[in-house]
Amino acid sequence: MMAALPVSLLLQVSLPNAARPAVVAVGVLYFAVVVAISIWAARRTRTANDFFVAGKGIGLIALTVASVSVSVSGFAFIGGPGFIYAVGLGAMYIVLPAAVTNVMGAWVLAKRMRLLGEARSLITIPDAIGARYRSRGAQGLSAVAILVGIIGYMATNALAMGVVINSIFGVGLGWGIWIGMGVTLAYSASGGILAGIYNDVFQGTLMAVASVLVFLFVLSFGGGLGEISRTILAHDAVLLGPWGKLTPLAALSFFFVFSMGSLGQPQAVHKYYMLRDPLQLKWYPLLKTVGLVLVLLLYFSVGLGVKAFVLSGRLAPLTSPDQATPTLLLNVTPIVLAALVFSGVAAATMSAANSFINIGAAIVTHDLPIALGRRVKNELRWGRAVTILIAIAAAITAQQSGAMVAFLGIFGWGLFASTLVPALAVGLNWQGATRSGAIASISTGLFVTLALETAAYLKAFKFPAGVTASAVAMVASFLVFFVVSWLTRRSAAAELDDDVRLVMEL
Amino acid sequence: MNDQREYVHTGADSTRRSAIATLFVAVLAIAIGYAAAFNSTGTPAWAPWLLALGIPISLGAIMILGAARGARGVGPLKGPFAFVVGILALGFGAALALPGSEGPLSNLWLGLPARAAIVIYVVGLLPIVVLPIAYALTFEAQTLNAKDVERVRQLAREREAAGGQANSAGVPPQ
Repeated sequence: MMAALPVSLLLQVSLPNAARPAVVAVGVLYFAVVVAISIWAARRTRTANDFFVAGKGIGLIALTVASVSVSVSGFAFIGGPGFIYAVGLGAMYIVLPAAVTNVMGAWVLAKRMRLLGEARSLITIPDAIGARYRSRGAQGLSAVAILVGIIGYMATNALAMGVVINSIFGVGLGWGIWIGMGVTLAYSASGGILAGIYNDVFQGTLMAVASVLVFLFVLSFGGGLGEISRTILAHDAVLLGPWGKLTPLAALSFFFVFSMGSLGQPQAVHKYYMLRDPLQLKWYPLLKTVGLVLVLLLYFSVGLGVKAFVLSGRLAPLTSPDQATPTLLLNVTPIVLAALVFSGVAAATMSAANSFINIGAAIVTHDLPIALGRRVKNELRWGRAVTILIAIAAAITAQQSGAMVAFLGIFGWGLFASTLVPALAVGLNWQGATRSGAIASISTGLFVTLALETAAYLKAFKFPAGVTASAVAMVASFLVFFVVSWLTRRSAAAELDDDVRLVMEL
Repeated sequence: MNDQREYVHTGADSTRRSAIATLFVAVLAIAIGYAAAFNSTGTPAWAPWLLALGIPISLGAIMILGAARGARGVGPLKGPFAFVVGILALGFGAALALPGSEGPLSNLWLGLPARAAIVIYVVGLLPIVVLPIAYALTFEAQTLNAKDVERVRQLAREREAAGGQANSAGVPPQ
């Protein structure tokens, strides 16, 4: 959900010596479990289908927990609470959409993606776009858009991993990046998405447990939510206004981008292919929503709790908002709980990185060759090779300046949203959508996002308060999709194959 | 030509057409809200209202688009969809319209001042109680059942028998 926000530079903290043994022990245990799961999964990965979509054999609970795990990143544990600490409840508009996004995704995409996978043996999201519009161009263009977004995501996740591992083991940021990416690469290349899924299950469970425990601890330490609110209201009441310190337009804009944009996030949408039995989708939205709420309890409670503890003098003022979680963990909570959360942050970043590496490898070995009218003969072998290349490229990129890496990470969510939501989410449900509309929409999303984000990064342009490049690009992409599809509507029916039409009508 | 006539007369059911039109209007409203923010004198007071109404309506429209099934439309899901669009719009509207009165003496609702409680509990939690349950309870009738899955599998078998299954955009697997 919030993986696009800058997770870089999120945990510049040194553990006190007294805390280090417990945190290191839990960290070592965490990595041991990841390695064990990966070895198990590698022995079960024999085909490209296994590697990219887990042989379409994942059960409901595993898929749900894995999907929760990839939907959040380190931001939910560190940057998010820091954002609430800084701006108050306005920061909640990033996570409030979770109340509707999972069931919306189920209605709009899950059934049709899963059935298309059944009908055509599809394994990627560009596959679905190619099948929907019978267009190699649309498939290739969407593949390029996803690949560009993945570059940004991977760099920020690699940096976040490096920061966390450096905090736990004290190996230095550079080595932290290489160790984190090395472990992620080991299980991504050997066990593909199967290793990723079962590591996600472990990591998602870890995140949920850590989040619930921290939530309960903060409420207990603060004397309940009412007491925490009273303290904040006495010192800085605006924080508990409905928009916090954001403008209404900015808060609502977050809600729009993170609700509608969720329909275009490949790391979550791709999972629909993997469910063993499509009829198990029945309970998927409920389970995933509950799981996501549990993981996000920390986001809400730490941000408000630490603010109240600082305002009441129980904690020293923070040097930066991102210190909210580390400060609470290292000064207030039991050290085992702190260790659990540090491992949870590592889990969140590794989980997201694995998913993106796998999707990127599928694009390079599967979608781009198809767009060029070719097929790679041994997709499994090439998939593993490209996985290694992507991980190395991400680790090298992450070693660059923090500002550059943060910039790359910022546009990921918006890029996926603006390029994929109209063409994929609306296109799979509207027979009047056309190939031209899809290509124009994807091109618009790609161009507008890159142009506006680059202009903002270079300080050549400044948005008014509340307006973001992601929001503008998504709205533009929608409108172009509708207008071009309407202008070319006479070709709509002829672009639909009979099996695709059946899937859309069910 | 025949294909086009078939599409125009039988393929596009009225629920989906209405949902698409509504989605277009809602996104247009959101676009106007953003455009207004570029005003040199600052964001006009009505601009957030366009988002406060446009967002719930666009989310409702795209959910209806996904849930609509043939001539029966969204069937029993009308109520849950109307409820959720309504509470999102009311929640955002209340946050915009109610006077800001947060302070040390504010009454707390489940630990939060009134406007914050509306945002967190109404906008953020109430849809969870309604939508996923409605999805599960109507799943077989409205979303997917064993017959649907078998129809898709049967068609896939027929396509394969008729000349090899094309993958995605039409490139045959090797």
